Amino acid sequence: MTAAPLLDVQNLEKSYSIGRSGLFSKRSLKVLHDVSFSVAPGEVLGLVGESGSGKSTIGRAILRLIDSQSDVMRFGGQDLNSISPARMRILRKEMQIIFQDPYASLDPRKTIRAVLSEALDAHGLHQGAARGPRLIELVTLVGLDPSFLDRRPHEFSGGQRQRIGIARALAVEPSFIVCDEAVSALDVSIQAQVLNLLADLRAKTGVSLLFISHDLSVVRYISDRVMVLYLGRVMEVGPADRVHFSPKHPYTAALVSAEPSLHRENRRIRLTGEIPSPLALPSGCIFRSRCPYAQPACAETVPPLQTVGDQHQSACLRTDIL
Amino acid sequence: MMSARNFPKRMFLPSVLLAALIIIPFSAPLITAEDPIKIAVRYRLAAPDLQHWLGRDEFGRDRLARVLHGGQVSLTVAFVATTIACIIGTFFGLIGAYFRGPSEFITSRLSDIVLCFPPILLALLVVTLFGPGAGTLVAVLSVLYFPTFARITFSEALRVTSLDFVEASRALGTPSRRIVLGTILPNIAGPLSVQYSLTAAAAITIESGLSFLGLGVVPPAPSWGQMIRGARQFMNQDPLGIMIPCAALVLTIYAINFFCDRLRDTLDPKGASGSGMDEVSKPLALADAPAIKDPDVVAVINKLRLETARFGTSAAVIEDVSLTLRANQCTALVGESGSGKSLSSLALMGLLPGAIRQASGTLQLRRKTGEVVDLGFLDARTLEDIRGNDIAMIFQEPMTSLNPIHKISDQMIEAIQAHRPMSKSDARAHAVQLLKRVGMNDAEQRIDSYPDQMSGGMRQRVMIGMALSCEPRLLIADEPTTALDVTIQAEIIQLLQTLRQDQGTGLSLLFISHNLGVVADIADRVAVMYSGQIVEEGPADQILRDPHHPYTRALIESMPSSHEGLHSAGGDRLPAISGTPPLPSARPSGCTFRDRCPIAVHACAEIRPALYPSADGGRAVRCLRAPEAPAGLMNHQTEAA
Repeated sequence: MTAAPLLDVQNLEKSYSIGRSGLFSKRSLKVLHDVSFSVAPGEVLGLVGESGSGKSTIGRAILRLIDSQSDVMRFGGQDLNSISPARMRILRKEMQIIFQDPYASLDPRKTIRAVLSEALDAHGLHQGAARGPRLIELVTLVGLDPSFLDRRPHEFSGGQRQRIGIARALAVEPSFIVCDEAVSALDVSIQAQVLNLLADLRAKTGVSLLFISHDLSVVRYISDRVMVLYLGRVMEVGPADRVHFSPKHPYTAALVSAEPSLHRENRRIRLTGEIPSPLALPSGCIFRSRCPYAQPACAETVPPLQTVGDQHQSACLRTDIL
Repeated sequence: MMSARNFPKRMFLPSVLLAALIIIPFSAPLITAEDPIKIAVRYRLAAPDLQHWLGRDEFGRDRLARVLHGGQVSLTVAFVATTIACIIGTFFGLIGAYFRGPSEFITSRLSDIVLCFPPILLALLVVTLFGPGAGTLVAVLSVLYFPTFARITFSEALRVTSLDFVEASRALGTPSRRIVLGTILPNIAGPLSVQYSLTAAAAITIESGLSFLGLGVVPPAPSWGQMIRGARQFMNQDPLGIMIPCAALVLTIYAINFFCDRLRDTLDPKGASGSGMDEVSKPLALADAPAIKDPDVVAVINKLRLETARFGTSAAVIEDVSLTLRANQCTALVGESGSGKSLSSLALMGLLPGAIRQASGTLQLRRKTGEVVDLGFLDARTLEDIRGNDIAMIFQEPMTSLNPIHKISDQMIEAIQAHRPMSKSDARAHAVQLLKRVGMNDAEQRIDSYPDQMSGGMRQRVMIGMALSCEPRLLIADEPTTALDVTIQAEIIQLLQTLRQDQGTGLSLLFISHNLGVVADIADRVAVMYSGQIVEEGPADQILRDPHHPYTRALIESMPSSHEGLHSAGGDRLPAISGTPPLPSARPSGCTFRDRCPIAVHACAEIRPALYPSADGGRAVRCLRAPEAPAGLMNHQTEAA
């Protein structure tokens, strides 16, 4: 990438303390290991992985909604690791989040007008007479009727609520949005509408997205690049179509082949065993316990991300198989 | 919040009652001119007369004046103390829950310390130290009650803080003070108002109790506790004396509780959902069901119509649903949320929610004995016997269907013994056998673990094992893989496929899903539901490869996996269906899909299409424009063109 990245994250780690093992030593559960990535202005980075892969944790860590440790975390030239709370509050205008559950993400007591006004008030935008037209503009932008403004969330369907959540994120005109499973809870026909809405917004406003999902086809469609996570480690990262159609990591390959599809021949790579507990991760490559191609060498070193093509990297020792 | 303009009706009665109970004591001078502390020993225990409506007490004081003036003291002490406790407690609770860390420590430890004291002892201690009196009482009661408020606020606020909308506010950069007061506080108002009513009621009784012991309000000033204390000695001669303050206490406490209960319902933005009582659904006797002749057929749903029975008006939620489920076959019921796919299956289990009733149609089942029964006619006992024995069901989230406090082994043994008389050790051996069958390694050991010690995929295996325990003929799987990761989902689908093939009696699988990809993997036949109707039905490969109904086609088209060439970066859009499915009460005339249909014509608004079978009878579609539709119906089509 030639342009300076909008978001640059190096060696992001996150652990939770889970009680004590001895009198003084705290036990901790590491859910992110050494995750590095960047997002260019206007780019959509897809984040895929199964439950427990840490994909939502990454989204919340970037937004500083949870604490994390990293060597570098820069957004729009500002260092998020050393930023003051006051500066961070101002910077929040630039980075927003859309949640998965359209039912939990809206305060049941607030009208849509109040929900959107809160966003504008937080940054002193469109005060006074400019407020009304801006609210109408926002609901129209996400394909809702302006008469909905004075209704409360329980009067809406899941798809409509998700649109309201998107309008709230867009209200402050951010340059970066974390979409945390933003379409996963929606029915197929509504999901397509919301995906189209996001694609339109991206074309119109040039917003960058971190698109978190477990649905590979959705991620492939919406993203420029895709990053595949397994138990908090990056397995593969590369251009969306390349990762999807010619994966270089056995885990990505298994994930793509496990996805039920109407159109593809099922050449299924069957994984054996269960996802290991984060408390007892295998040595070396964490995927080796389920990998059909694992060798003794896989137990010894943690495979680094190696370049396997243009902008395409994979963390697998066995470059000979895929 | 409610504005004065739309004051809710259900708040009227409790508000009036509470207002009366507060206003009446404080307007005592208007009601009686008698002095509550003027002693007239001559008239002690005089019966009620026109001047003294409630008679006189043991010192000849007017009881009406005393109960009214006493009420002033009791109510003031109780409400002031409760309000102070509520404000302090809520403050500590909110701070502790939102900021966590040291403030959480202070809140919880402070509450713990105060809660350790028995309330009456603490009150006695303070009153003894500082002397009795209304002021001391308020202070004591506030200290006593603030920890309960802090506790409740803390736990409720903690729950609300973890919700997405609070996180959204934080992500927006809304200042903490605004989040706490504007978002969290309104959302915990319900439980707080209930706690307020309980505490105010308790404060009134404690006040009365302390005054009764002579530690509260100082005589001769009246209070309800004082009155009870005085009247107690003359209970035998003069029962009225003790009944008056008791009645005042009971009435007040009742009014407060009544008011706060209704307030909580009103504060709930969804509003209280009616009386909360479901109408009991009654089976409808329809004797004209065609007999099942084919021995391969396990169950037949025929022209099923389900209606909501709420609020007098009935809306059809399921209309004209017919399905034939055969042994060794997997039928998939596909549709979006609200299409009625789960309701159809619940009807088969005899587990319809109370608000839904079967208006017409029949549900027939061939039992393992070969006997064909009509599920609509059966009594609850027989239905219970059928569930688990002839029909079994697995759900989306196995964790909610397994009891977290019992071992897997106990739950499985119980399920087996419910339908089969066998010893515990035999049942256990059978359970281990079942777990092996559903692909659990070292089943002998893992059977003794608890549900939370297993992964989601393993729990779903356990559920399937339990469902198979009595070798049912029909297994209903309601979105069994939706909550699972794709790699695990693939394994479960594989498992269901194998089980279907090797079950001796010939298992029929009814698979409910919104995911067409999964359906393509597992189903032999597919029925697509939209807005309470089956719109297309037939062999899975035909329906999914060559859909005839525009809704089926649109559903397949809107899946991103159908378009591996499209990419948002290239400005490509997915072919989406516009609009949303109609509510059961607002379905359009004619075809229910016509509002969203790309090929609708005038006739679609006028004719409610039936399910038209194809020439070979293999498939059927509910669309006027499908090749299966009879030719005569489309006279209007030319107009539209």
